[in-house]
Parts: sequence; structure tokens; C-alpha cells
Amino acid sequence: MRAHYVPPAQFETFLDPEAAVWKEAGREELKLEGTPLGMQLTAHIRAAWAGRKIGSVARASVAAVHDGQVLAFRLEWSAANGGREPADNHEFTDGAAVVLPSSAGAPIITMGAPGMAVNAWYWRADDERARHVVAEGLGSSRTVDVELVRGRGTWKDGRWCVVIARALRVDTQEPIAQLEPGAETGFGVAVWDGNHGERAGIKAFSGPLWHELQLDAVPETTR
Amino acid sequence: MEKPDRQLAMVMDLNKCIGCQTCTIACKRLWTRDEGMEYMWWNSVNTQPGRGTPRDWEEMGGGFRDGTAVPGKLPTRKDFGEAWEFNHEEVFFGGKGDKVHLKVKGEEPDWGPNWDEDQGAGEYPNAYYFYLPRICNHCTHPACLEACPRKAIVKREEDGIVLIDEDRCRGYRFCMEACPYKKIYFNHAEKVSQKCIFCFPRIEQGVANACARQCPGRVRFLGYRDDEEGPIWKLVDKWKAALPLHPEYGTDPNVFYVPPLAPPRFDENGDVDESKPRIPDEYLVSLFGPKVLDVLALMKSEMAKTRAGEKSELMDLLIAYRWKDMFGGFDRDPATIEWVKS
Repeated sequence: MRAHYVPPAQFETFLDPEAAVWKEAGREELKLEGTPLGMQLTAHIRAAWAGRKIGSVARASVAAVHDGQVLAFRLEWSAANGGREPADNHEFTDGAAVVLPSSAGAPIITMGAPGMAVNAWYWRADDERARHVVAEGLGSSRTVDVELVRGRGTWKDGRWCVVIARALRVDTQEPIAQLEPGAETGFGVAVWDGNHGERAGIKAFSGPLWHELQLDAVPETTR
Repeated sequence: MEKPDRQLAMVMDLNKCIGCQTCTIACKRLWTRDEGMEYMWWNSVNTQPGRGTPRDWEEMGGGFRDGTAVPGKLPTRKDFGEAWEFNHEEVFFGGKGDKVHLKVKGEEPDWGPNWDEDQGAGEYPNAYYFYLPRICNHCTHPACLEACPRKAIVKREEDGIVLIDEDRCRGYRFCMEACPYKKIYFNHAEKVSQKCIFCFPRIEQGVANACARQCPGRVRFLGYRDDEEGPIWKLVDKWKAALPLHPEYGTDPNVFYVPPLAPPRFDENGDVDESKPRIPDEYLVSLFGPKVLDVLALMKSEMAKTRAGEKSELMDLLIAYRWKDMFGGFDRDPATIEWVKS
């Protein structure tokens, strides 16, 4: 997939899924699959989900743009309702994330490995703040910042449109993905269907291998 | 999970619980007054037989059978009982005190955290019930801890207290599903799971849990499981007079109960019938396992001893002549400490 270059814009502009910048970005349909039962981390979760469908969202439409400063992903998928605040204990909220390798060779299937982090940009419908997360293996995810990544979701006509965005480069010691125009990286997406009780490792994801993301170079004329 | 160095435990003598809910309120005042905690009762007292709190919790699964995790259900807020709001303004300050009675605002509730109080079971003149206070069992094999994919639940090495780390908790509620005692609540304002903390900030200062210290009935004993001078070891291990609730749930609780004796039955002529207990044995076995019958027999024989003028260490322990002896050394007066909310 290409992350299309768009002329420099306010960060806020990207967060509107209807914004003009998204008209220029090519969308890619990603097939999603449920995370394997055997990889769920605890015996309780495996027992509770044995025989149940994991990953109820089968596909998502994904687009990406950058303006040389900010990289933004737009995810769109069909969802029965757009409930944000779970009112009861057995109700869960929808969510989505984009995951990027922090270093070459980091495995996506296990959400990284010790010393080989992955970096997730995580949005949840009940939280205005998106989370900037690193993980070095299943169950090890930790939030490193709640300001850096911004996300916004709009639910309309049975579909979620969610934009998740971050500066390409971030000054930090944390093992996060540092990006640059013209470069290529891997990416993956995950979608949680709260109505279906999905949370944590119970989710739909874009598969055990990285998808390719080619960031457009910044055109010479604008440099 | 590492086995803790020591384990704190509690024994509750059900023969002395009068269902006054002082423990419940002591806990509520101390720990669950913030937003999102309105419906929480980390300590609850219910009438048995009864549906309990949350409603029908014994049928919600969780825990382990033969060491294998059993799927569980998430109790709803209604199952726990919502925190009702009352029309206090209207009745007390609205000038309608002679026409309007105190009632719950909004929809009339059909369940609450102590809804079936004093109903019990059995027919007159052989009706029966007893009270069952419950807190988190701070289990040796905690299903909540094992269910959490984020390792957000810890069992403290120094005393075995089970705590949820709210910084790691992301509100996934697998713990709530997995706890077979349904003693975990979800805080919808903070989006984290919360439960009884065994009053660890008090324990760390040598002060007994609020529920134990405030109990007017001297129901609750506290201490380290392995302290041979303390009441827990004596009641649980030496005398084997206290049992965990639902041992078949497989979590190895650290709250133990001295089971309730009851008056004898009346027969159809109204005469006392000592041959059958008022509380059916099978009911107590369903709660505490088959060992409960041994405990009841032991209690009866120790009571007979004291009636005959002999000494019984077990009866002396249960009577709790010296209040402070109930707390296994955690008998410091909390008023001697300057508490700071962090």
C-alpha cells in the first residue's frame, strides 16, 4: 500500500475522515482474520473462546497519507452499531489499531519479541485519546504516551471511519517506529468488535505477516 | 506465579454474624466512595439460602475444575444491584413529606444487593437462614490473576494479598469472568476492574481490616496462616473448624468460615426433634464441602465439654474473650496513625 504524499496540512485536518486529503488516497481492502485461539494468553481466555468465532470483522478498507510531517491511516469497516460507552459489565467497546515494526525483523504475529518491539497506534471508541503502545511479545504491551498519537472515529450508516495519526519522527528513547518519506515499512491492522465481546488479544487482524507500506517521497518542488 | 512467602487469611464465624452490615458500611466508607464505585460492595453480607450478590453468582462459572479453567459469565450491574438514588429532596425538603414516601427515583427496582434478606428457606416452624459475609478470598490459586492477559493482577509475596494494578488494567474483565466468587467489580468511570484490597494500607501499619475491626459481633479473625500463636492457624489447621466456601471452585481461598449450627427441628407434634438438623446437612455440604459435617460434630462435642464444666480451647477461641486476640497481631488502633490520601 502507498502512503500518498499530500501537501502540508494541520494535524487536525487528517483526523476528519471526510477531509479532502482522503479523497486522494487510494484505499486498499484488507482481509482480516481472527487471532488464533491457541495464541490467546491465558487458559481462561482459551476456555471461554473455544468454539466461538474470533474476529467478527472480516475486512477493512485502509488508506494512508503523509505530508512529510504526519502519517495518518484511515480505517473503515462495517459495524452493527457505534456504541462508544459500554453501559454494562458485559458490554465492550469497538477499537482499532495500526501496528508498525519498531525495528527490522520484529514479528507481528507475536506482537514483537524481546528486544524487537512493535509499535501500535491504538484507538478505542470510548477514549478520546489514542494510545501510543509498544510491545515486545504477547501480553507485554504498554502505553508509552497518550498525546502523540491522535485518533478520531465517526460511526455513520453502519460503518466506522477511524483516522489514526502520528508524527513521522518522534524524539524518544522508547522503541517506537521512526518513519521517513520515501521509505518502506511493514504495517498491520486490528479491529475489535465490542458487541461480540472482543477485547485484548481477541480481535480481527490483518494476518501473521506484515503488509507493505511505501511512503511517498516528498516531491522535489515542495522541498 | 511464585508462591508467596506468607499468606494472610481471615476466618469468619457464621454462628456470630447478625447481618448488621457494619462490615459492609465500614468498607464502603473507606474504599468505594469515588465516582464509578457507587454500585460496589467489596464486602457484602447475604442471607443463605438465597440468590446472593451478584444475583445467582454460584451459577456463573469461573474458577477451575480438576485444574482446568472453567469459562464464566460477567455479572451485569443489575445482577449486582444498582446504586439507587432516592427522592430525599422531595420528601424532606419539598414540602410533600405528608404525601410522598421515600422511594427509589426512576424505574422501580426488582433486585438489589441484599434483596432477599432474611427470606431463607424452610417452612414454619422449621424455617431457617443464616448470614454469609463475603470479601475477595485472596486465593492461593487466583483465577482472576491467571485469567488476565496483561499480568495486571499480582499476589503479594509478603502476605499473599491479591491486588489489581490499575495502571496495567485495561478493563478487559477476564478477571471478572474467571472469578468464581464474582467479587470483582468494573468501574465504568475509570474503566478498570476493582475489588477488595484486604485493607493493605491498614495491614501495612499493623491495623486490622476495617470489616474485621468494626464487626460488633466479633465474627472475623485475622492473621497469617502459618502463625501458630495466631487465631487462623489454630482455627483452620489445628482445630480444622473453619472451611473455605465452595472448595470445588478450585481456587484455594484464604477466607474460611466456621459453619453455622442451628436450633433443632420441631416435629409435627411441636416437640423438639434432635434427629435432624434445622439447616439441612446437604445444603451446608453444597456450600462448604463434606468436611462441614465433621466441623459441626466437633463444635457440638466441644460445646458439650464446656457444658460439662471442662475447658475447650476451640470454644474459648470462638467466643473471643479478648477482642484484640482476634487480629493475629494486627491490633493497632487506626486513630493513632495520621493517614494521608495519596
